[in-house]
Amino acid sequence: MIDAKAIARDYDDGAKGRLTVLDGASLTVDDGEFVAIVGRSGSGKSTLLHVLGGLDTDYRGQVTVAGTRLDGLPDPALSRFRNETVGFVFQSFHLMSGVSALENVLLPARFSATPMGDLHARATAALARVGLTSHAARTPGQLSGGERQRVAIARALFSSPKLLLCDEPTGNLDAATADEVVALFKTLNAAGLTIVAVTHEDRLRSAATRVLTLSKGKLS
Amino acid sequence: MSGSLWPLVRLSLSRDRRSALSSAFGLAIGVASLVFFVSLGLGVGAIVRDKVFPVDTSLVEVVPAQLSFGLLGGGTLDEATVARLAALPGVERAFKKMNVRAPAVTIYRGDFFGRPLHMGLEILAVGVEADFVKQDVLLGEFVDSGPDKPIPAIASTRLLEIYNKSFAPQRALPQLSGQLLTGFVFPVDFNRSFVTSTPPSASAIPSQAQLVGVSDRGLLAGITIPLEAARRINTAANLDAKTFTGVALKATDPSQVPGIVAAVKTMGLRVDDQDRRMAENAGAAVAISTSSLALLSVLICLLAAFNIAHAFSASVRAREKELGVMRAVGASRSALFRLVLVEALVLGLFGGVLGTALALVGSVGLDVAAVRFLPEFPFKPETWFQRPLWLLAGGVGLGVLAAVAGAFLPARRASRTDPARVLAG
Ligand SMILES: Nc1ncnc2c1ncn2[C@@H]1O[C@H](COP(=O)(O)OP(=O)(O)OP(=O)(O)O)[C@@H](O)[C@H]1O
Ligand SMILES: [Mg+2]
Repeated sequence: MIDAKAIARDYDDGAKGRLTVLDGASLTVDDGEFVAIVGRSGSGKSTLLHVLGGLDTDYRGQVTVAGTRLDGLPDPALSRFRNETVGFVFQSFHLMSGVSALENVLLPARFSATPMGDLHARATAALARVGLTSHAARTPGQLSGGERQRVAIARALFSSPKLLLCDEPTGNLDAATADEVVALFKTLNAAGLTIVAVTHEDRLRSAATRVLTLSKGKLS
Repeated sequence: MSGSLWPLVRLSLSRDRRSALSSAFGLAIGVASLVFFVSLGLGVGAIVRDKVFPVDTSLVEVVPAQLSFGLLGGGTLDEATVARLAALPGVERAFKKMNVRAPAVTIYRGDFFGRPLHMGLEILAVGVEADFVKQDVLLGEFVDSGPDKPIPAIASTRLLEIYNKSFAPQRALPQLSGQLLTGFVFPVDFNRSFVTSTPPSASAIPSQAQLVGVSDRGLLAGITIPLEAARRINTAANLDAKTFTGVALKATDPSQVPGIVAAVKTMGLRVDDQDRRMAENAGAAVAISTSSLALLSVLICLLAAFNIAHAFSASVRAREKELGVMRAVGASRSALFRLVLVEALVLGLFGGVLGTALALVGSVGLDVAAVRFLPEFPFKPETWFQRPLWLLAGGVGLGVLAAVAGAFLPARRASRTDPARVLAG
């Protein structure tokens, strides 16, 4: 599923020059794996996830995801890759406020290059997978934190991606709700979805099939 | 693909309704004032051109030189000169005109369209070729049939307008139309005057005139009669019946007029362009006031565009995370650029249509009010405005253009949203 070789990423660090965050990180992930990536705050976990998901283009190294070579891919093709092949889940959900759960879930369809059939039915099915069919008409303001994250997961699942990339998906949730979300990830993974999740938390780490540590710009 | 952006456009506009409406209203005010003033300028311009100073742009009025050139004999309009004028390049036809060189009065005593009228009036008369006015002749042939028959006469459209709007109302006389006047016979005594003593050498020539139509080409302060009638009266009064008082040159095309005017001047003749100058001055006054008001309106539109730029850049900044998510779920840079521009386009369309509609409602309202509340006066129009389709389309187009131009930089900023930066947790 993922074959990333020698990823290097540095940021402009003002007067001090360049800050090297990733320094030759490599990883391979097989289809159906559930990989947890751990590391100190600021070690570059989010940076790595953005590279793998085609959100970042300003790095060196070779990245192939689900058969698509991402480095050097022009914006339209990379956007299409994000639209069809990966789903993102963020710590702070990033739902559109004042807009129904259903409308949030079918956001990917608005940027799809190919017709996706009955959008309403598809979005309802995605909400059903996260157990929120009855909340389709609610706006984020009318949902609990755990429900918001499940709507965000439904949005990530909407285009039936091959890979789910999660950045601290349980970071903003209380213990009980976090457990529910982790259980949901396990179910999705059991159904064949490949998951890479960045986390601090033990419960997500123990749910994973493999744990990698990011330190000093490298994975081990 | 962009078709599926519509739901997002609708969402973001309805979520930000107040700001969207205020942007659109600002635009509407600019568009409304521009459409209104241009419409008014076109309308008033048309009134000046078609009613107040109806100038035929392809007509050159040639008159003799003010001073005679003595021995050279230049500067008079005899048959030979007319022939040379008619042969000038760009001249399609030369129409000869001869004033009745004797004074004339009309004394009317009797029934005037249902009212008793008793009036004496000093008038002028000019003779013209039949073809010069034939399109306005409603009754019979425009020819002189000798001293015993009524002389066909044409009145001026402008005179009739002034009569109807100022003269008649003040004297409780009936309103007249060209049709109504046609056939009206009245006495005219040539070689007779109320103001100067009649030359002792000749006695009065009593005649009758019959109105056969009204024309823009008719003499303002008098009657226009067949050339032969003028000749006959001048001969009878022992006055010059050979040279003409004017020649109207019909150009093949208005663009030929400057060349013809120059050629006429080198022949030692003058061009009577008083009417043309007045029309041009009035037209220029209208054009200048219209353009300055239009410029003001364009400034309002510019201001509205800046307002939209401001509102959109605030909105793009506020939606930074949302735009980042859109990138994450598959929006390309160009899709976000288009998304913001389409939002602006919808606002612009709304503002443009609203503004154009406001201008139309305002102008129709003013027209109705003018008809109802302004007193009658000469050349008072039915409408003060012209509302050509291009102006209405232009109003809507200007709204769209101003909005899209205002949103251009914010849209570019939106397209450059770095999702990795705005979404990082
Ligand atoms: N756009 C940027 N410009 C400059 N420096 C950045 C930028 N993004 C991240 N960094 C820096 O790069 C380093 C790695 O950031 P990153 O967000 O990947 O860390 P992380 O492992 O996800 O941390 P956390 O666990 O706190 O989320 C940090 O030191 C951060 O300050
Ligand atoms: Mg992070």
